[in-house]
Amino acid sequence: MRGPASAAMTSPKAAVEEMLRAFMKAARAHQLYLPNNPIYRGAIDTLRAAFGPVWQQMPILPLAIDEIEIQWEGEMVLADPTSAKSADNLAWLFFKDGVRELTITPGFEDEEVVKLLDIVQRARRATTDDDDLVAMLWEAEFTFLTYRHLDLLQDGVGGSETAPGPEVTPLSADQVQRETQAAVEESQASGFVNMADFDSTLYFLDGEEVEYLRREIEREYAHDLRGNVVSALFDIFELHADAAARGEILEHAQTLLPHLLAAGHFRGVAYLLHEAQASLSRTLNISDGHKSGLTRLADQLSAPDGLNQLLQALDEAPHLPPEDELSDLFAQLRPAALQTIFQWLGASSNAELRPALGAAADRLAGENTSELVRLVQSPDRVVSDEAIRRAGSLKAQAAVLALSKLLSDPDSARRLASVHALVEIGSAGALQAIERATEDSDREVRIAVARAFASRVHRPGLARIEAAVKGRPIREADLTEKMAFFEAYGALAGDGGVDLCDGILNGKGFLGRREEPEIRACAAVALGRIGTARALESLRKASGEKDVVVRNAVTRALRSPGAAP
Amino acid sequence: MSAPRAVAPAADEPNVRRAGRQLILAAYGALRAVKLYPVENVAVQKALAEVTAQSRDLAKSEGELELRISGEFLFVNQVRLRLELDNFASFSHLLSLFRASGIGTLHIAPTVSEKDWLIFFSLMQAPASDNPEERLVQLQTKLADAGVATLTTAPPTEQGDGQEKAKERAKRTYDQSVAATKELMGSLRMGASPNLKKIKRLVQSIVDQILTEETSLIGMTTLRDYDEYTFTHSVNVCIFSVALGRRLGLSKVQLYDLGMAALFHDIGKSRVPTEIINKADRLNDDEWRIVANHPWFGVLALFGVRGAQELPYRAMIVAYEHHMKADLSGYPRPLRNRQMGVFSKIVAVADGFDAATSRRSYQPVPYTPAEVMRELRDNPRRGMDPVVVKAFINLTGVYPVGTFVVLDTFELGVVHAANPLEDMISRPIVRIVSDAQGNVLFPGTLADLADRNANGEFVRTIIKTENPERYGIRIADYFV
Repeated sequence: MRGPASAAMTSPKAAVEEMLRAFMKAARAHQLYLPNNPIYRGAIDTLRAAFGPVWQQMPILPLAIDEIEIQWEGEMVLADPTSAKSADNLAWLFFKDGVRELTITPGFEDEEVVKLLDIVQRARRATTDDDDLVAMLWEAEFTFLTYRHLDLLQDGVGGSETAPGPEVTPLSADQVQRETQAAVEESQASGFVNMADFDSTLYFLDGEEVEYLRREIEREYAHDLRGNVVSALFDIFELHADAAARGEILEHAQTLLPHLLAAGHFRGVAYLLHEAQASLSRTLNISDGHKSGLTRLADQLSAPDGLNQLLQALDEAPHLPPEDELSDLFAQLRPAALQTIFQWLGASSNAELRPALGAAADRLAGENTSELVRLVQSPDRVVSDEAIRRAGSLKAQAAVLALSKLLSDPDSARRLASVHALVEIGSAGALQAIERATEDSDREVRIAVARAFASRVHRPGLARIEAAVKGRPIREADLTEKMAFFEAYGALAGDGGVDLCDGILNGKGFLGRREEPEIRACAAVALGRIGTARALESLRKASGEKDVVVRNAVTRALRSPGAAP
Repeated sequence: MSAPRAVAPAADEPNVRRAGRQLILAAYGALRAVKLYPVENVAVQKALAEVTAQSRDLAKSEGELELRISGEFLFVNQVRLRLELDNFASFSHLLSLFRASGIGTLHIAPTVSEKDWLIFFSLMQAPASDNPEERLVQLQTKLADAGVATLTTAPPTEQGDGQEKAKERAKRTYDQSVAATKELMGSLRMGASPNLKKIKRLVQSIVDQILTEETSLIGMTTLRDYDEYTFTHSVNVCIFSVALGRRLGLSKVQLYDLGMAALFHDIGKSRVPTEIINKADRLNDDEWRIVANHPWFGVLALFGVRGAQELPYRAMIVAYEHHMKADLSGYPRPLRNRQMGVFSKIVAVADGFDAATSRRSYQPVPYTPAEVMRELRDNPRRGMDPVVVKAFINLTGVYPVGTFVVLDTFELGVVHAANPLEDMISRPIVRIVSDAQGNVLFPGTLADLADRNANGEFVRTIIKTENPERYGIRIADYFV
């Protein structure tokens, strides 16, 4: 007996009615709220407590299920006439699937009541193809709940009896006795007794065998069923040249793909795509249709629609699959996936997903530069930007032409990205492509080019840098740009640039007028970078300079000649 | 048999179930100790102390303690105990002792002592009457004489007609299963979508019956309808597999998975032309090649059998692997790495046994069950997993259900059930179908070949297995 001893004694029927009302409320809470919701928890607690008065008055609770009501000892204890024959009516929910009686014993309220609420919820949502309530109750393996049901599904089955085998002609008792004696004599004459048949211990499973079976059962439930089926399908594909079977296998593989994705079984998806590729490469006598079927299979996930779905799911997933599983999956993507991946690299907010996507992008872009080059020119800015970045980081020589075309793009940010990418590529062609960008309308682009020339010591760019250093625009530029160009000049011109820089630093113009201090300071930096004796001599000449900006620049240049500032 | 070990309990397992299982293991240990050693032995004292402590604790915590058998189940109070790989030997032993002693329920008082248990276990294992009802009366009298009031026994609540009802239920389930399998195969042959719900429910029913009273359902496998071979074979393999899985300690839901896979194992035959399936002559090479395709035909066919939730992957694997050998020879030969699953191994043994013991179009004279069992056991080229074969023999006995036997009493018998006593595997329960004078008996009487006379000698012993047709007897008549 359970339940609070202090509870006021109600009639047995009232206790059952109250418990069923609490059950209905809990069922609604189960439907509407998550288990951690206080309303849900309250409803479950109330339901559990409602069993107390029931167990105070009866050791077990048998409930008869009628079409629209539940009865206890012939009396109605739950009915819902307004929703008769709908899934909301608990009686009808059980009745329609053949359940006619439920018997509940103490202890049910502890754990199993929630299991039943869950079943009620599933049964309400079940489609005609889903398991019915009886199947769900069966699977739940209740300890404290039993049920009686009519097997509605078996109506019309089993009309014919299985025949007991062929007719035999009965023998008389004498004949049977004679045959028996003959059999005994035959047995005695043979004198052969197989002791293995009589030694029972031979059939006892020893500890090791029990352990082996335990491991086998564990393995049965741990192994990857889907992967196993995929393996079988492609084995069949390769071993049997039957065209219809191969076509069917391709269809099934197509069916499996979304199933695996929906189940989040990404390793399985990777395996399927990998094995499709393996079958494609090693199957003999394969028709063109089947070849393209296998190829299509492998390409399917890389197509924008499919991949977008996958990446959307991954991006929103609270927990990503293990890193190796994800990389297995991404390893199966085709070049066509690159565009979508680039889009997601720009859009994904999932910090865990981005590195895996980035690695996939690097692999695909590295293996398929033509696709990368195509994407560099994509009208989609997100894609194009990502492609430009990857072209640079991968030092994709093939992308130089496409990138150099972008130097005429009206968008300065794009031109700048292209410059960076070309600089990262760093080949002579790439650096040559950016020479004209020394005159770009955008300051950032010009600075990037100047710095690139300095760092790469791109001597073919000297003429343009020199022209800039001599020109008026640089004198109107800010200090950073000035510095970048003069430093580049110093790096490229060598000793040949001393005269120009000395003239700027120490020379006087018309009416003894000197260049602006910023320009002179930049010339000092350039001389420092040149670092030859003549350059140092020029710097020493200016060491007594009164202007602080110039004097500081000179001092620094003399302190570490030849070094970049 | 390995000694019972404590089993790690599942976290959500009810306490009474966990404690009940420990009690059964303790009782089994004490029974063995009492049987093997003198009372003074430390092992006996320790085992009795264990079972006493377990039973007292449980009786106190639950307010009362009752062990009850119902069919093949053991209940502690109202809670059914789970049969698992670790404990099935102890459960089976206790069940068989209870049955043999005519005990249906044992009520244990919280004051039970070690001495009470010692007397009870000694009496249970002492030679006594062959009749369980008489034996129970003797046991109750002797317990009373010994002043044991803390252990009270009562006969089973299921009466004689329980067996008949079980038989009827088994027959109904069997017929429905064969019909549903036929419908399923027919649907697939016609390219229609079969009703899986019906099949699922039938497999659940098979699992329930194997769990409660397996003898009747296993008896049905002797029907072996020639005209319906493909369908009866699928159902038989399902029944044998589930029964074997139960011995291996599979849970109810795992048994269901195994049963579904076993029922579908030959579903690929729905793609083999009926004229080949039913051909009476030996198959030519081309025909054989087509039949040998049925495992992979099965994989493809099962894509068309779908419940709402999931493709039947496990059944696909079993269909694909059931003709592979444990070393992956056999057919089909896999190209990719694969390790044969234990479900496939179970179905392979059940399939091999049922196929060889059945009369089929190209096998008009079947092998006897005992012959097949020896072949599976002794011929490694069959490629069966030896541990699974061993467990299968453990299930069916050396003489499986339906084996027709000649006894040293000049009686004829049909094996009705394996002996529940684990050391009597070659001494099954036999239905005597002809007396020593050659009079054919119907329905005959059951005899336990483990029974001994007053001198301690076995009353009856099998001396030969035989073809029943030689005696004008049809085995299936005794099972329906």
